Amino acid sequence: MKWFWCCFFTFWPILAVIVCLASPSLGWWFPGASASPLGERIDDLFYMILIISAITFIGTQAGLAYVLFRGAADTDKDPSHKAWFSHGSHELEVIWSVVPAFILLFIALYQMDVWAEYRVKDAFPQQKMRSVLERLGQERDEDSSLALAEVTARQFEWRIRYPGFDPETGDLLPLMPEPQATDLYAVNDLHLPSSSPVMINLKTMDVQHSFFLPELRIKQDAVPGLVIPIWLEANEQRTYQLLCAELCGWGHYKMKARFVAESEEDFLDYLHRLHEEQNYDRVENSEDVAAE
Amino acid sequence: MRTSFTVLLISLCVGCGEQPKFVHRAEFEDLAPYAQDYVNQVLQSHFGEPTDMVVWDRLPLKEHTATATVVIDNIPSDEKVKEEEEAAGTPRTSITGPVSVRQLELDLNSQNLDIGEGTELLWLDGPLEGFPSSWVTDWDAETQTVRLETPLHDLPFNGDQVVLGPGEVLVQGRLLYAEHCQHCHGVTGDGNGPTAPYLNPKPRDYRLGVFKFTTTKRENRAAREDLSKVIEDGVPGTYMPSFKLLTQEEMTSIVEYVLWLSMRGELEYQLISLISDEGYSVEAIRERVADGESYQSIRDEFIERVNDPDEFNYEVDTIVSRIANDWEASQSEDALIHPISPRVPYTPESIARGRELYLNESLKCAQCHGEAGYGNGSQIYAVAKMKNGDDYPVPGLHDDWGNLVKPRNLHNGTYRGGRRPIDLYSRIYAGIKGTPMPPFATLVRRSDPEDPSSPLTDEDIWDLVNYIYSIPLDGYLPGQDPGASAPESEGVAVHSFE
Repeated sequence: MKWFWCCFFTFWPILAVIVCLASPSLGWWFPGASASPLGERIDDLFYMILIISAITFIGTQAGLAYVLFRGAADTDKDPSHKAWFSHGSHELEVIWSVVPAFILLFIALYQMDVWAEYRVKDAFPQQKMRSVLERLGQERDEDSSLALAEVTARQFEWRIRYPGFDPETGDLLPLMPEPQATDLYAVNDLHLPSSSPVMINLKTMDVQHSFFLPELRIKQDAVPGLVIPIWLEANEQRTYQLLCAELCGWGHYKMKARFVAESEEDFLDYLHRLHEEQNYDRVENSEDVAAE
Repeated sequence: MRTSFTVLLISLCVGCGEQPKFVHRAEFEDLAPYAQDYVNQVLQSHFGEPTDMVVWDRLPLKEHTATATVVIDNIPSDEKVKEEEEAAGTPRTSITGPVSVRQLELDLNSQNLDIGEGTELLWLDGPLEGFPSSWVTDWDAETQTVRLETPLHDLPFNGDQVVLGPGEVLVQGRLLYAEHCQHCHGVTGDGNGPTAPYLNPKPRDYRLGVFKFTTTKRENRAAREDLSKVIEDGVPGTYMPSFKLLTQEEMTSIVEYVLWLSMRGELEYQLISLISDEGYSVEAIRERVADGESYQSIRDEFIERVNDPDEFNYEVDTIVSRIANDWEASQSEDALIHPISPRVPYTPESIARGRELYLNESLKCAQCHGEAGYGNGSQIYAVAKMKNGDDYPVPGLHDDWGNLVKPRNLHNGTYRGGRRPIDLYSRIYAGIKGTPMPPFATLVRRSDPEDPSSPLTDEDIWDLVNYIYSIPLDGYLPGQDPGASAPESEGVAVHSFE
């Protein structure tokens, strides 16, 4: 019976390691390769922690297996053999407290700049954001918002507000905190320029939601009463998934949307299309009517 | 413990759903049992059940994957075949064994879904009519050629009509409806699914055939585009979310299925009203018996009327024709609202004119929406009457479904039926169907009131639209920046334009 237990406790960690190794090829891993530079760095952090955990896990499980088999073999030879009893060993306690503490401290320090860049507004690549907005021809001054869109979560969809165009000059206006007559609206369809950092403001109309772009490794809760800036940079011009990652009610699963990263020209075209659509009055030929 | 475990195990094996079934309206229960049987029989024979649908060709739906005409260049048409038959001295149908034709060129008359492997091909006429359907293995859209699984029994003629995927749109629509819509709108489309009790406003009950947010004229129903727009963009301010990620085909399927449910529900509604009015509700029968008739004679009379083709059958026919015609007419270009003049520019002058109209006594906007547009006009305290003449128990405005409705607070900037100028124009021009919001098509008048030959103008409606746009923006105009100075500017509102 003791050999059964030895094998039993050795089998599960081995199975865990095998499943873990096989999972990328089974599609149980990340939702595709990271599609943004920051996402790659987040992945690197993940892999670093995974490696540390893997070494610890395999080490401790190998130790456990060794102790089990060794003890079983020893009692086979001599049934009265007693195990070495380590409880209360001061030295060992110090070792296994200090080593993990150093590891945790290292992780805490090592991830800091990625976290700061991701979450702290002063560490955002603001210069690059500004230059995108300038390339889009936005009429900006010093105080203009860096955000290019406002995403408002609501049960159960994403409503998006973009700044519109100046009716006189036709240039893109900056995003204002309050709705404007020129603003453009869309739902469940976020378009932004790709290949450079852009910022959006996240809000919620009702309960807590979470803005989740799995391929870009972006996840941010939308909290009632707050306007939360998020920045993102999509490497490729394509369509990504946009999901809600916070169980927000019975229709949570309905909050599926798309995020389309496109070239700056295409983005402006998209805004122009929205403008057309939003000003549609179904009068095909106004001259004809006037002539009647 | 063991019992609950067994129950769990059984339910896991069996699954927890029975087949979805259509439910009847509440009024159905008021009918005499034999009248209920008749209503049931009509609905069953023309609509079936969700999992066993009957496609009724009287309904103006795009229910098939595609309809097509067979094109055969080298194969003889009717007359040629006759000539050949005469020449050969034997009728062509006596060719023994199946002809080995497995490829057909089709001229598509309409297509709603993709044709692909497993699509059924049903022969509507020609020599193959009545034969079992053929099954498609491959469709080449470029050459318009379909390849079939088995050879044809006989050669079709040029011009034979076929249906590809009969009823397939509704079948797909039902599955999508079950996935996305059913939990609120219900299996029957009665707006009473399992999640409906938690919602305010209530999900739409399709069975009146009325949809609120349309861009069609007052007398018309919703256009297909109106329905698909609501599905695509959702209804902000309600629980109806946007289903933007549906493909075009999925959208078509859902819209057709919703229309089908609506037509079924409306037929049921009208038929029940008719039978009740004719005196076959339990209550009416009781009165008639009190007046001296016997139960048996009323029942015999009913059955006689059911069997008489000029009685109830004729009425069902009339109701269906009316429903079908109404829906079909609503899909035409004429049904759409077309403003006469383009939108009036969004200027302070236009907004001020709009505000004046809004406060105009004869238009009565403020009676419901309130003078300041907060949706708090005096009508919300008035007692409204139900269809049967009784008072509603709660004061306030009610819609055709009997739900309490609030006049819109115009300060929210939430436009349930869409925020395009044409949407707001339609709300004012045609009103909101099924609600107390009336149509204001009368605002279209001669540009010169003195001269009856002067062109029509609808600039008043556009001024109102501009005023409504301006309310949530506190009267700011494009280019102005309320953001930074918002706190100080409180109270500046639209009055500043006067």
